[in-house]
Amino acid sequence: MSLAQIHLSHFGAMVIFALLVSVAFACAGRRTIPTRIKYALWCFLLFLAIGVGIAWLMYPLSR
Amino acid sequence: MATEVSLHTTPTRQKLASAALVAITAWIVPGLGHLLLRRWGRALGFFFACGGLALAGFALRGEIFSPHSDDPFGALGFIADLGSGIFYFVERMFETAGPDISRASGDYGTRFIAASGIVNLLGVIDALGIARGRRS
Repeated sequence: MSLAQIHLSHFGAMVIFALLVSVAFACAGRRTIPTRIKYALWCFLLFLAIGVGIAWLMYPLSR
Repeated sequence: MATEVSLHTTPTRQKLASAALVAITAWIVPGLGHLLLRRWGRALGFFFACGGLALAGFALRGEIFSPHSDDPFGALGFIADLGSGIFYFVERMFETAGPDISRASGDYGTRFIAASGIVNLLGVIDALGIARGRRS
């Protein structure tokens, strides 16, 4: 059995990874549903912000 | 005296046995340990996160490490992959073409699969803490 292979951009892969890991962190780290949602959102945004920030810092090295 | 000892040790043993059962089920099926502890939200969250990472990694054609690896990084990769429990065995069963090392997607897939295992191990530790009464 073979499943369709998907291709993601760097940013797309980062978004999916950040979303799923943020959900897991929120489930492990917070007790109530509202705090869990807030924590997951915060982790997700931090993942993206730090990822894009590191990409910009590395940009001069790529040229 | 012997009766006193058995009265004190039996509940502890039972608690340890049930905690071990929760940890094993949490490893085999992500979220099932939390489900046994009636933590529905966390069960769903861990299953969604582990399953999503494993499925995305598989669809990206990441490398699924086998138990027989020549280098230490392969062995570490196997331990990380194995952490995702049933998802690892399902991926091994359906993997036919091997990893796609010609694209960055394949490399991302390898990380996704490993992350799935690590996230599930986090879930196992969390479920174990709840079962032992150390976490709420």
